[in-house]
Amino acid sequence: MPRIDAHVHVFTKVSPEFPREVSPNWPAEREEPAEKLLGEMDKHQIDQAVLVQIGGTSIEHHSYLLHCLKSYPDRFLGIGLVPPDHPNPTEHMSELADGTGIIGFRLFELGGPRDIFATTDAREFKTHPIWECAAEKDYVLWLYPRSIDAHLLPYLVQAFPQVRVVLNHLGMTPGKGKFTLDEFGRPQIQVSGYNLNMHTTYRLARFENVTVHLSGQYAFSREAYPYQNLAGWHGNLLNDFGIKRLMWATDFPWILEEPGYGELTTIIEKLLPNLSESELADIMGGNAKRFLRFPNRS
Amino acid sequence: MIRPTPEQKKQWEQEGYLVFENAIQGDDLKRLQSAFDFWAAECKEEWLDRVEAGEAAATFYDIPNPLEKDPIFIDIIDYPSYYGALMEFTDDDLILLGPQVRTVAPWPVSYTGWHPDVGQSNPLHIKVQIYVNDVAKGSGEFGFVPGSHKPDTGPYKRPLLQESMPGHKTFPGKAGTAIMFNSCGWHTSMDNASDTPRKSIILIYEKRTPGKIGPEQFAAISEHCTTPERRKLFSLAD
Repeated sequence: MPRIDAHVHVFTKVSPEFPREVSPNWPAEREEPAEKLLGEMDKHQIDQAVLVQIGGTSIEHHSYLLHCLKSYPDRFLGIGLVPPDHPNPTEHMSELADGTGIIGFRLFELGGPRDIFATTDAREFKTHPIWECAAEKDYVLWLYPRSIDAHLLPYLVQAFPQVRVVLNHLGMTPGKGKFTLDEFGRPQIQVSGYNLNMHTTYRLARFENVTVHLSGQYAFSREAYPYQNLAGWHGNLLNDFGIKRLMWATDFPWILEEPGYGELTTIIEKLLPNLSESELADIMGGNAKRFLRFPNRS
Repeated sequence: MIRPTPEQKKQWEQEGYLVFENAIQGDDLKRLQSAFDFWAAECKEEWLDRVEAGEAAATFYDIPNPLEKDPIFIDIIDYPSYYGALMEFTDDDLILLGPQVRTVAPWPVSYTGWHPDVGQSNPLHIKVQIYVNDVAKGSGEFGFVPGSHKPDTGPYKRPLLQESMPGHKTFPGKAGTAIMFNSCGWHTSMDNASDTPRKSIILIYEKRTPGKIGPEQFAAISEHCTTPERRKLFSLAD
């Protein structure tokens, strides 16, 4: 069974060939190219990975991602971004995904009312056309919603049972103003000790088209690797979503310096120590291969 | 104070719950509904801000510090219709841990799955859920697995669908109904597929453990606790 890292980012220096936006975490001169990722993957017997776009939402901003997918078609699949105010998201999505290796799109906002008591009709949500397009074209939706949007999800998931959904980073939903970078340049998300997502995203377990990443532990834990204080959350996700709907990921490159790529390849067996060998293999790649339809390596 | 009947004591022991229909009625119920609606509206925006900040769940909200907001929320803590049963089951050594004055929105999925609150090693832990509005079947009514509070039952596993829990019973009821249950038992809020929010108050009690609740916990309402019994219930100094 292949070992698949289900959520990573790669980018190169800003150039005319590969334009992208910059941020404190990915300044113009920084590069974390696919070859560096492949080096880590090969060193730790990881076969394939999902490259998730960062550095802008326009077609041009996806140049490097498209380049990597074309260069290594049996190693990578891609997840793109959609401009929040795009007048025709279907056109944008189709253009990006047409035979390129991009299999889906990541959303941070869902575009519905902030008040759950005002939520009635998913067709009125701003992202409804994106979900419609995903349903029609069989794209995966890669979700890392804000806290204020968490209640909107089941309306969309229920309306589009054919859309494959991947909840990013333990199904967490970051709160406004709770995002910082630590001394290693890694995203840090301040969360309460009681996991509020037990009452939102974790409740989506009944929908069979929803899966969850076991990743991003470094961003939510206040402990050092292996982030034992998050073992309970992993246990809850395993209990609710079951062994076949969890996917391991590293969130490369943010974890390269601390704790290191190799360390993260063993985190699942540390946080879920009672898994059988085959169950571990499912989480480490089998589920991603099946759910995301990874090609066989040539 | 109304002590439980032998039948009620038997049901409590065997099944782990009791239902008190019309536990609160008349003017007291109107006072409760009025205070609930007023403070729920007053506190809603602050709750939404906390949801946005990732500090509160988006699917339900509790009125903060309700005991300090209206005396009716204090009066229901030792309300005669169920207080006698609470005292009986805790050998007259009861403490309040806290109230949850809770509004649960209609949502495609229940905001919580089946669960027990405490393990068998915990001192007897009792909750009383009071419906503030009518709660029909399919609108977030309380669900409980009778007998699941006993140490020799189970193991139980949380099912994906609320209605798939083996042996469960649901408790639709009129406003003013109080459901008392042993929190070792598996319970939940059923899905609310209606268009009506479920308004209820969950009172949390325990058999006293010295020092569990300090006198500062409910000091803000000390003036409303004038009898020795009530001061003991709220862990206030004599």
